[in-house]
This record gives sequence, structure tokens and C-alpha cells, in this order.
Amino acid sequence: MKKRTALLLSLILVLSSISANAREPLEDEWLIPAPPVPDPVAFVVPSGLYYVTDTYVADVVATSDATTIYSTTTVHESTGTYARVIDSVDTGASSAFDGMAFNGRGALTNGQALAGTYYENFVLTAGGYVPVSIVFFQDDSETKRRQAVSSLGAAAKPTASPAAVVTTTSPVPVVTTTRPRDAIAPPSIMPQASIQPAPRTVRTGISLSPDGPTLASAEVLRGRLVQFWPRVFIDNVDVPIRSWRLLSAQPDHISASTGSTQPLAAQWIRMPVPGVSWSLRFEVYSEVSPTERLEAEISVMLRSPALVD
Amino acid sequence: MTRDDGGTAALTTIVMLPLLLVVLVGVLELGALRAVAYRAGAAADLATIVAVGDQDQIELAHSGKLRLAADAADVARDYFARNLSATAPALAASATAIAASADIASFPTTPSFDPRTGARYDRPTVRLIASVPVKTPGFAALLMPAITTVTIRSTSSPR
Repeated sequence: MKKRTALLLSLILVLSSISANAREPLEDEWLIPAPPVPDPVAFVVPSGLYYVTDTYVADVVATSDATTIYSTTTVHESTGTYARVIDSVDTGASSAFDGMAFNGRGALTNGQALAGTYYENFVLTAGGYVPVSIVFFQDDSETKRRQAVSSLGAAAKPTASPAAVVTTTSPVPVVTTTRPRDAIAPPSIMPQASIQPAPRTVRTGISLSPDGPTLASAEVLRGRLVQFWPRVFIDNVDVPIRSWRLLSAQPDHISASTGSTQPLAAQWIRMPVPGVSWSLRFEVYSEVSPTERLEAEISVMLRSPALVD
Repeated sequence: MTRDDGGTAALTTIVMLPLLLVVLVGVLELGALRAVAYRAGAAADLATIVAVGDQDQIELAHSGKLRLAADAADVARDYFARNLSATAPALAASATAIAASADIASFPTTPSFDPRTGARYDRPTVRLIASVPVKTPGFAALLMPAITTVTIRSTSSPR
């Protein structure tokens, strides 16, 4: 009888048991990680792309004494395009892009192709960066021996001439020295360092109009809806904003906490303690460098019309 | 009360009644005048406050500083006339005429000095000084001027 009773009680205990509600320490490690959410805006940015601030003007061949220098002139202006280096070639070396540059690739007096750099130009469209052209920046020189002591008087001054216009596709004509030479010698080639994009200076700021100056502080009337435009400048050139996010949140009303091309519209109703100013801080990403996190800030002093004693 | 006392009281009442009426009318008219002056002052205050709220948006976008719009004085004058119209029945001139003759000045840059009052303003300021003619028929009944001119002053700036 006792055995049956004990067996029955044990059976009841086993059947009525429930699992403990304790937390399993390793429970989280068994969770299957969520698949990464793709970027809603699938924007393919070619590697090495940068915003163009110096635009090609012409090929230049300058002769000084026995040295002829092949270079490229540029003008400091932005046409809203982007570029990247696609190939750097030495003197005489061939490139897969030979014949594709709109300004062609010149040659030395001995027929060897010039050293230089190929750049591919892009324009930014709604569908992404679209390649539009290839340009060759020549960067080479050659030196020739004099054939004889010149009897023509004073030494020739350095001369320079633009060799081709921007739209030409013909090879760059070469200007060679007109001085007599002692003997024809093989030119000594002095390849120059390849052209590298200058370091960029990135500056951010907030303005109160789409094209206005960036401000460190602004006075704002209470209750007035004011628009704040995050801005990014690369080499002092205004570049488009890809996205912004408000990091501080003092305004009583805001149009949105994130945005892209639209500004932040903010309104303050509550007055701060006298003498205290607020600041708006933004996280900004530009179209030129979409992965580079930038910050912009503006100090806001809230004022309200009041009677003067 | 004896018969003689009753005659004295009646005589006293007859003699003092005009004086009591004069005092009563004077007090009532003075109160009405003060109420109109108060409402005209409120109209001026609201007008200058509205004018101060009219800021130069181009200058704000350029420098981040509040500066009065070029038409701040005109805005103050316009709103002063609008606000005064609620008190028009008590005024001896039209609200528009009173506003037109008001001395309204704006001081968009700082610091600035008011040549009329000598005050110094450290913020963009709108100042209004106006003479408001008010009908005072009670005073006229007492052989006093039928129109009393009240001078009001208001100054506003963003603070």
C-alpha cells in the first residue's frame, strides 16, 4: 500500500511539473541573425570617384632650351561632374584606353606615346553615376642635345602654346626646338610623377536658405517656422546632400528628423532661460562621399517681440 | 424734526445738488477717458509688437541676425489704425487719420538712439508716439473742452 501511494505521488509530481521560467544565458546565441537589410537606395558608386574641381582646358607643349615639356592646363572650376583615375601610363607604354580619350594621346619626337593619366568623367543622374567621357592628362618631357653653338644670338626664351582645344580628337601637335643641334641623340625621357587628385577639404555648415552662406548662429523669433539647410562643401564647392539626420532635438515642432534634399523646418514655442542658446546638430552624408559621416551645427538664439519700458 | 429743521434740509439739498452733479459727471467722464486711453495704448502696443515680428528674411538668411523689415514703420501704422477702429466711437477723429499723424520710427540697426526721446536701443526697435483726440461730452457740459487729447507711447523690440 505504501509503495503504491509513493508511486502515485511521484507520478502526480512528474506529470504536474512545468518548466522553470528562468532565463537561459546562452539563449541569445542560438538566435538566427536577421538577414541584413539592403540599402533602400541601391546606388553604385565607382571606386575612386571624386568631385571635379579642376577642369581640363588644353594640352600644352613648352620648349625651353633643349627640353620640351608636355603638360596639361586646367581651370579651377566645377562643372558638376565627377571623375576617377582609370590608368596611368609611362612613356611609350600602351594602354587599353588609347584612342578613347576625346583629346587623344600625343607622342614624343621619336614617336613614343606620351606618359600621363587617363581620367574617366561621370555625371550624376537619378539612376546613378553615368560615364560620359575619357580625358588624357599628358605629363612628360624630353631633352635634346644641341647640334652646334648657336650663332643666332641670345638664347631662345621658353615658349608655350596650347596644342589642342577641348573638343579635338586629333593627336596633340608637338612643338620642337628650332635650334641647331650638334648631333642627334636619343632623347632622354624624364617621366614626371603621375597626376594625383589634391587632398580634399571638406567643410559642413547650416544655412537658412538653399544657397545662402553657412552660419554659426542665428536669431529666431518664437513661433516662427524657420528652415535649416545642411550643407557640405568640398574644396569650397557646394555638393549635393544625400541624407541628413537631426542629432539634437530642442525644437518644439520639426518637419522631420531625417531628410535628404528637403530642409529641416523647425519652430520653437517655449522660451529658454535668458542668455541660453540652443544648438541644432546634424549628421550629414553627401553625394560625393556617401559613406563619410559629417556633422554640422548651428547655434540658435530664440527671441520674442516684447514691449520696452 | 421741527418745522424749521425741515426747511433747512431742503435748502441744503437744493444748494448742494449742482455741486454733487458736477462732481459725479466729472468722475464719470474722467473714468471713460481713462478707459479710452488704455485701449488706445493697447492698440499701439500691439501694433509695435506686430511690426517687430516683421523681420527682414533676406538679412536673416545672410547674417543670421534679426533686422527689422524696411516697411516695419508702415506695418506699425497700419495695425495701429486697425486696432484703433474698435474705439472709433469715442474718438474725435478717424482711426486712420490718427494713425497717419502718429510719429512712428523704426530702428533696424543697433545700437541706435532715438532723437525724439533720447533713448538708446540695443535691439531692433519700433517706437510709436501718437496723440489721440477723445470725445469728452461730460467735460463740455461742465464748460470744459469737448475734446481731450491723450498722448500714448509704445516701444517694442525682440528680446
